[in-house]
Amino acid sequence: MTDMTAVVETEGLTKFYGKRRGLEDLTLAIQPGEVFGYLGPNGAGKTTTIRLLLDVIRPTSGRMSVLGADPRDPKVRARIGYLPGELELEGKEKARDYLTFLADVRGGVSRGRIDELAERLEADLSVAMGKLSKGNKQKVGLIQAFMHDPELLILDEPTSGLDPLVQQEFLAMVREVRTTGRTVLMSSHVLAEVEHVSDRVGIVRAGRLVAVEDVAALRERAVRKVEFHFDAPVPREAFEGLPGLRDLVVEGASVRCTIDGRPDPLIKAAAKFTTVHMVSAEPDLEEIFLTYYSDEERHHAHAHA
Amino acid sequence: MPTLTLKTLKEYRRAIIGWTVGMCAFLGMYISIYASMKDSPDILSRSALAKYPGALRDLMGGMLDIGTGVGYLQAIAYQMLGPLLLVMCAAILGNRAIAAPEQSGTLELTLTLPIDRKQLVLQRWVGLFLGLLTIAVITLLVILAAQSGAGMGVPVGHVLAAHTGLFLVALFFGTVALAVGAAVGRRQTALTVVGVWAVAGYVVETLGRNADWISWARWLSPFHYFLDGRPLYAGWPVGDYLVLAGATAVLLLTAVLAFDRRDVGV
Ligand SMILES: Nc1ncnc2c1ncn2[C@@H]1O[C@H](COP(=O)(O)OP(=O)(O)OP(=O)(O)O)[C@@H](O)[C@H]1O
Ligand SMILES: [Mg+2]
Repeated sequence: MTDMTAVVETEGLTKFYGKRRGLEDLTLAIQPGEVFGYLGPNGAGKTTTIRLLLDVIRPTSGRMSVLGADPRDPKVRARIGYLPGELELEGKEKARDYLTFLADVRGGVSRGRIDELAERLEADLSVAMGKLSKGNKQKVGLIQAFMHDPELLILDEPTSGLDPLVQQEFLAMVREVRTTGRTVLMSSHVLAEVEHVSDRVGIVRAGRLVAVEDVAALRERAVRKVEFHFDAPVPREAFEGLPGLRDLVVEGASVRCTIDGRPDPLIKAAAKFTTVHMVSAEPDLEEIFLTYYSDEERHHAHAHA
Repeated sequence: MPTLTLKTLKEYRRAIIGWTVGMCAFLGMYISIYASMKDSPDILSRSALAKYPGALRDLMGGMLDIGTGVGYLQAIAYQMLGPLLLVMCAAILGNRAIAAPEQSGTLELTLTLPIDRKQLVLQRWVGLFLGLLTIAVITLLVILAAQSGAGMGVPVGHVLAAHTGLFLVALFFGTVALAVGAAVGRRQTALTVVGVWAVAGYVVETLGRNADWISWARWLSPFHYFLDGRPLYAGWPVGDYLVLAGATAVLLLTAVLAFDRRDVGV
């Protein structure tokens, strides 16, 4: 790979646990300022990838660089914020004391910064960590990952255990990180959890990266169900034959249809009439993504046959 | 002090306090028994000999002079129970340096801090060292005060020498636990290694004194380098202590190198 600017770069990265495959031949580059969603079912290899990038485990073969250096270099790790997939916090130590310890080792974080994050996520830091609920442990994990404003955030299933409101707050925090030009790699089981903040998503399955897609491009390809209600009946001809339009139903003053890709032609056609009410269902990216990569896999299977 | 050492000491705090209080109570109680019985040393030695027949007496170091101050102090503090207690404590603390947090999963985040892996092991070990040193110093002070109060008449220098040996043996076994944990990450393995080595080593050293067929193995016993020179009677066995300290250093180096090479938490 010749791209020297990538924040995370791997080439043929492979990890076997004895005979068990964890990850095989991962070649990936994540660019500065990008939010990368790393998706896959249970046991796909997400945590394996992330632990390799943080030098918790060592690759069987292949190479990687993180922020331009080998992750074995401890100085690099000061510039990373990491949330483990199976975060363990235990004992009588108070969450605040633990956060202070982590901050000290990373070169210091103002007390105000920790308080600010705790307030945003509604985390109580005065409780012994062993007594925190799963979601509250996850909040402590998020605070420590974000608190030193790292250049790169590596988050393994960050939303697990969080209630919907806190999830929204977390996504807002990720957006802010992107706004400041920093980079995020986050894993999840479902696209819906990450699609609103991710620039690109990668799918890993059975240890192999099977697809990497641009979220904006996916969205352009997405299928959307749309409904218009006008103040007077409309002619069917006004909508018929529009590019990407399918399943057109015109009943008096209402129009229902499905549109592939950009809704622009439909909007322009509808603009000739007076719209009273409009419904547009959220495009199901997951669905097209899944078809996309299962096709891809079938392709692979054929190629190897 | 390195941040991680400070953190380690905080984690150890409760255990350090508990073991210190327990050992001081134990030693103080036995030394006060001596104070009340020292005017009739015959009764003391007769009751002791009746309580520990034959081989048990060998395990307790013979106990021929249990009626004297130095013999009594040796029997309660430096022969079997003292080392046994402190070695247990050391093994527990040593296990909590790496193996225990690795198995519970809390080590993962520590590992991703900007601390070199070699430094991580070293700083944890310094925490273990300081923790054991704290217990050793406080128990030493209690022994010195109690033995002079009870009129045992053991020279301060000799108590200091024996106590240093006790500390070195405990530090050795604590380092064994830490090193096994650093190499394999399993607390059960580490505890087993310490348990077997300590018990076998102690038996070999004490019974082996009078049994030729096991005495060849005495050099493998860490207790040999503590008990054989009889520091409470004869003062500093400098060479033996250097062997203990050297072996501890080798173990620590092994721990550092082993931990630096492997996957953590798998
Ligand atoms: N310590 C280990 N020893 C042996 N095999 C392992 C170990 N850790 C992971 N694996 C195997 O490696 C593969 C990938 O696991 P990994 O934990 O990376 O998956 P994941 O994508 O994070 O899954 P999940 O969504 O369940 O967290 C799985 O088949 C798993 O069984
Ligand atoms: Mg995982």
